[in-house]
Amino acid sequence: MDYLYDGSFDGLLTAIYFSYYEEKADGIYPADNYQYSLLTVSKQVTTEPELAAKVYDAVERKISPQALRRIYYVYLANHPQKENLILRYLQLGFKLGPEVDSYHTHPAVLPVRELAKKVSFEAHRFYGLLRFIDAGNYLYAVLEPDHNILILLADHFADRLKQENSIIHDKKRNLAIIYNRKDWYLTDFPKDIQIPISAKEAFFQDLWAKYFMQIGIENRKNKRLQDHFVPQRYRHNLVEFTKSYAPPSFFTPGNKGTKRQ
Amino acid sequence: MKIDNKLFREHLFDLRPACGTILLVVKMNTLEKLLILADGAKYDVSCASSGVNKSNKGGLGNAKAYGICHTWSADGRCISLLKILLTNYCIYNCAYCVNRNQNDIPRASFTPREVAELTIQFYRRNYIEGLFLSSAVERNPNHTMEKIYQTLAILRNEFHFHGYIHVKVIPGADPALIQKIGHLADRMSVNIEQPSEESLKLLAPQKSMQALLLPMKQISQQIMVNSAERKISRHVPKFVPGGQSTQMIIGASNDSDLAILKTTETLYEKFHLKRVYYSAYVPVNEGPNLPALSSAPPLLREHRLYQADWLLRYYKFKADEIVSRDFPKLETDVDPKIAWALRNIHFFPKEINKASYEELLRIPGIGVTSALRIIRQRRLAPVSYDHLGKMGVVLKRAKYFITCQGRYYGGIPIDAHLIRRALVSPEPHAIQLTLF
Repeated sequence: MDYLYDGSFDGLLTAIYFSYYEEKADGIYPADNYQYSLLTVSKQVTTEPELAAKVYDAVERKISPQALRRIYYVYLANHPQKENLILRYLQLGFKLGPEVDSYHTHPAVLPVRELAKKVSFEAHRFYGLLRFIDAGNYLYAVLEPDHNILILLADHFADRLKQENSIIHDKKRNLAIIYNRKDWYLTDFPKDIQIPISAKEAFFQDLWAKYFMQIGIENRKNKRLQDHFVPQRYRHNLVEFTKSYAPPSFFTPGNKGTKRQ
Repeated sequence: MKIDNKLFREHLFDLRPACGTILLVVKMNTLEKLLILADGAKYDVSCASSGVNKSNKGGLGNAKAYGICHTWSADGRCISLLKILLTNYCIYNCAYCVNRNQNDIPRASFTPREVAELTIQFYRRNYIEGLFLSSAVERNPNHTMEKIYQTLAILRNEFHFHGYIHVKVIPGADPALIQKIGHLADRMSVNIEQPSEESLKLLAPQKSMQALLLPMKQISQQIMVNSAERKISRHVPKFVPGGQSTQMIIGASNDSDLAILKTTETLYEKFHLKRVYYSAYVPVNEGPNLPALSSAPPLLREHRLYQADWLLRYYKFKADEIVSRDFPKLETDVDPKIAWALRNIHFFPKEINKASYEELLRIPGIGVTSALRIIRQRRLAPVSYDHLGKMGVVLKRAKYFITCQGRYYGGIPIDAHLIRRALVSPEPHAIQLTLF
């Protein structure tokens, strides 16, 4: 039996509930682009928050809080088989309990651990690689991450920029986090939005981009290392990479400038 | 998670002006000053923003103990903090320093308020994780440190900034001033500059090792006293919660790796430093006691020293095991851990399923994470050779030093010379023959 769910985390957990209390699931898929076939029976699952909450608690209590966090990260991943990875991992987890993560190389555990790590690593990266624009009465940032990590950024930036209104916009998924100095909301968001850049904002962008060029040491130039840390695909949203300047020549060693008093 | 489109529409149009923003008086020469003072600061190595967990208590900013990197410059080094000098006017004339007073370079100074405002504006845009404030010594150490204190006081008390601040201590400053700054900063560091007293005398005759170690000792003692006091009452204000670090310049003098690592080990043991940074000397000045201007910075040596530093801090090695009087230089073609393993080949091979944690850590290709994974999994089931790669073990190095379930996978006899040759010279590449 294939279960089809609505794409929400609660929907996924509901499907897992039915897999235990009704018919066992062979697979779980999002209903959106499921390939129906003559050989497998499929059933649409209606999301029921109460049943989902039961599974949620059971994972936390019977396996471990880390396992719960892990399956949530995998749920956010951009991976065609993520629901089935979660299913296999939980099936083993409910059998073995908290010990499941000690079986690092088990085929049901390893892919979940690796995928969860990718997602949390990308979220960690964007703690640093997000750039806000001061748009007058709110801060606006745009990103295009590989995985759906937006929600993992919300608490961090809401705490950090507590007294500022802010919008963090995932342009790839047309989602945004809106923070109004009290609460944050995850919501749909139009793909193309024009943010006017004021003269003051342009000044600071310029200052930052030039500082960025200045701080690199010419004799230690290492493009491969830089490429490793800042992948090309993130760069068009980073102001220090979109504006490029050559460092002023009077700073290069050996070339003396004029002394000013 | 709340998804509510109606709410969103209301809030997008109801974004009131933020009261937390600070108006900056844009000065004409801010850009020029920033570039001059960033240039003077860029040879300072540390940019870590780690060691402190703080949440935002009604102001701007927080800090995460794991540290956050914000971008990476063209040399591949992480930019986490706004690294600048308060001034590059200097009374000292240290031979290796770009800011020494005999150098004919553009000079500038920021006021404390300018630095504080710049930090806030960069921080709000998430360009940086905080401030790394250092300075040349203008007039005297106390005068400069007083200005650094003013900067921090504006940031912390006026702007309620809770982000990360790293302050460079100017040796010779009043201990009371250092203490005041320590209550506002997250991390402090005193540059030890050179690994030995002799090289310091040669290259920076105005400084003495004694004077450099004094503030380091003060900070380490006060950190200890503070953490003891905080155990009694959590209301005692924190003192340098991110700990203390230092840096030394590599390759400007003739010190051996033995001297460098011995000094490092002493610093860790005596002053409980969080980190000792090494800075490969980039030739910026000409001088009789300095490498030529055209010489390249000793990057490989710096890299090997960092590897050795990791062995000291995470792999339970002693400096004597890495370098000694018989082999005072770190090898260039293999890393220090392989070098140790080849010198102690009688210790190997180790059986993965039996070796203790300490023994696993000594095997080249196995790190802290993979050693812990091996230990956890082998409690439940034997670890096979196939598993090792999945656990993050680097087999191309480890295979010569281990057995797995009794079998040796190295393919060559366990002999230091043979293993060295296998590790150093890579497999010959297949070359496409040409017709002519």
